[in-house]
Amino acid sequence: MGKVVSASNQKSAAESMASALSSMEGVDAEVSERKSGTSPRNIVSVDCSSENWRILAECMRVEHDVDYCSMITGIHWPEGSPDKNWEVIYHFMRMGVTDPPVIDGMVQPIIKDPTTLEGKEVPLEIEVRIAIPETRDPKVASVQDIWVGADWNEKETWDLVGIDFEGHVGMRRVLQPHETPVGFHPLQKQHKLRYHDFEEMYDDAQGFLRKPSDAGKIK
Amino acid sequence: MDGDGQNYSVFNSRMLVDTVGDITDEALKASRIKDVIGVLVGRVFNWSQRKSLFPLHLGIKCCALEMAAAGASRFDAERFGVFFRSSPRQCDVLLVNGPISKKFADPIVRLWEQMPEPKWCIAMGECAISGGPYFQSYNVLEGVDTIIPVDVYIPGCPPRPEALIDGFDKLRQKIIRIGAVPDDAAPESNNPIIIGDV
Amino acid sequence: MAEMWISMGPQHPMTHGLWTLKVKVDGETVVDTEPDLGYIHRGVEKICEARDFTQITTYCDRLCYASANTWSHSYIYAVEDLLEVEVPERAEYIRLIAVELQRIASHLMWLGAYGPDIGNLSVMVWCLREREMMMDLLQELGGSRMHYNFPRVGGVKRDLPHGFAQRARAKVSLFLDRIQEYEALFDESTIFLIRTQGVGYSKAEEMVNHGVSGPNLRAGGVNYDVRTAHPYSVYSELDWEPPVERPSIKGADCYDRYRIRVEEMRVSALMVLEALDKIPRGADTYHEPGDPAILAKAPSRAPEGTSGAHHFEDSRGESMFYLAGGGEGRGKMPYRASIRSPMFITIPYASKCMIGYKVADIPAIMGSFDPCIGETDR
Repeated sequence: MGKVVSASNQKSAAESMASALSSMEGVDAEVSERKSGTSPRNIVSVDCSSENWRILAECMRVEHDVDYCSMITGIHWPEGSPDKNWEVIYHFMRMGVTDPPVIDGMVQPIIKDPTTLEGKEVPLEIEVRIAIPETRDPKVASVQDIWVGADWNEKETWDLVGIDFEGHVGMRRVLQPHETPVGFHPLQKQHKLRYHDFEEMYDDAQGFLRKPSDAGKIK
Repeated sequence: MDGDGQNYSVFNSRMLVDTVGDITDEALKASRIKDVIGVLVGRVFNWSQRKSLFPLHLGIKCCALEMAAAGASRFDAERFGVFFRSSPRQCDVLLVNGPISKKFADPIVRLWEQMPEPKWCIAMGECAISGGPYFQSYNVLEGVDTIIPVDVYIPGCPPRPEALIDGFDKLRQKIIRIGAVPDDAAPESNNPIIIGDV
Repeated sequence: MAEMWISMGPQHPMTHGLWTLKVKVDGETVVDTEPDLGYIHRGVEKICEARDFTQITTYCDRLCYASANTWSHSYIYAVEDLLEVEVPERAEYIRLIAVELQRIASHLMWLGAYGPDIGNLSVMVWCLREREMMMDLLQELGGSRMHYNFPRVGGVKRDLPHGFAQRARAKVSLFLDRIQEYEALFDESTIFLIRTQGVGYSKAEEMVNHGVSGPNLRAGGVNYDVRTAHPYSVYSELDWEPPVERPSIKGADCYDRYRIRVEEMRVSALMVLEALDKIPRGADTYHEPGDPAILAKAPSRAPEGTSGAHHFEDSRGESMFYLAGGGEGRGKMPYRASIRSPMFITIPYASKCMIGYKVADIPAIMGSFDPCIGETDR
């Protein structure tokens, strides 16, 4: 049988981390179990306020060995409750990866048996949600210096959603063109897709009225 | 004839060539040989152009993999004379195989303008024809024919490599029909692409 | 010697996609790099807010076009997390076969593009020939050569066709023999060894801090694989191990990253053969599309306040979808679909790896990280 991390070890590691994080101020952590395929996954879901985010991030990195920043998502909730108008969701993983040891001048690959991992070595998924109240320029503290993987994720979140990251060095547009107008963040809900209401599209469904750029020329 | 810098002692070959050329031209026109040569040479040029279409090595999105598969050993586009070149200066055909985003609109027009005449454009795949599944996107142009005049459209998402080879065949038939008329007029839509507008 | 910025791209035969790499060179040595992405940014995340959950699968195929199945499966697991659907076991096995075949095809495409980067042009036609074999199998499963739209919420769209198991076993066994041809071609080629060994070092801890995962990380000497660390699907029921490379003291170089992908192709091929043996109810029974053995009933609406996320091992690293429920159509569409692309994070890291080497090493280093710009730009 394939060797995978045992679900019970993962659950106990998740619970210990959640209880350790919940003891911090402004942080509320719990373990949520998701079913996927043949085995359940236990992930640590953390709700944090934006003022305590930086302290929580440093604690996660230093005390709990969370070493991998997976993704940063920004969501705009214009019709949400007044204290959740914007939301930033971070996904982290604790991978427990260290450089392989060098013995007698030869590097020995670390081939751990995943079934034996327990305690602080168990890989974990962590989800941190930060709700930002209604504001014109949402801001969250940047974690660019803690995890380098957060660097481009933060740039992309600002580029597409408009959430600013305080302390981020070198914020620029990464996916949209550099000449995009300042303040244009397409994933905000007031920007609609082209043909959003579909009427314009159905006025000329086959596109007979649209002409290519060289229509009428002899070719 | 006696402008500055004119050296009378050196035999002025340019005038001789011009005069001989004019005389020969008149003679050929009078005896109708010029028409025959024009037709024959035109046909030879047309044959060589359509039998050796060199597309540009440009891979935008998924259709590029089908383009690569068309060049590989199973479908083998090279037996039709289709050989990919990396520099636009050496290409005949611009094979657009993906959606054109606002950021890429400028570079692709620049690639098109760098290609020497005679040149053709093939829009491969739905994204290049009309924006494809991303027609509603804020960043994708609705088809490459908004900025570049297109000769052949190959539908499909992605079109099979056989469809791409058939598209080259349609382009060959078009070249037989119209020859290689240089298109020296700019595209009709001179509207600038305003980033930030949907 | 004066330093200058050279721009590679966007149209460049060796960049494996449409992006610009601005390189600052001092003579022949690379001093600084700056990647410039976004040339095929299509706004898929915004479009997904106006599509049903079933319709989004077609977009996810086209995210990374070299390995379409892994992305649509990555999305489907996130939807099943959001809608809390249980998938029948036979469907999980069929999904595993599709994903592993696609992983082989993706690595073949990489190898077929990496060889010409180094200068070995014949391996491109060899790898594309093998890829055609895999694409034939995937075409039988999914219906199209490249974008299959294969998984459905709760299962798969159709069962293994008649005779598929026999054809798959024959082709995969033939492929296992052919891998040895590639290894022979590369390992006996002095030019390839000189150009890839000792070039582009990357250490494991640094890679994890930068967000790199997948084969690039396993080449650094650590066996971290999302399939074993955060298990999903039926990977725990097959007898396999993710391959790990022994890197040099300074870290993993391009040669290690090449070797790990060849080993991964082998492991994936063996997994496919084993899954065909172990599939419940046998590989030769056929169920009609919609049969509960391969497709479970799933709700189509996700109420507001729910969310689903799933980490998945894509051919290039760890990919993830985050879906927030409660969108248009009273929940039939996601409120926000967020996509984590491994290459979006790896390309800046790979650009940093190039600093200190020569200009001629740039295609070797960049190609060894296996960039695919479709998923980077979304």
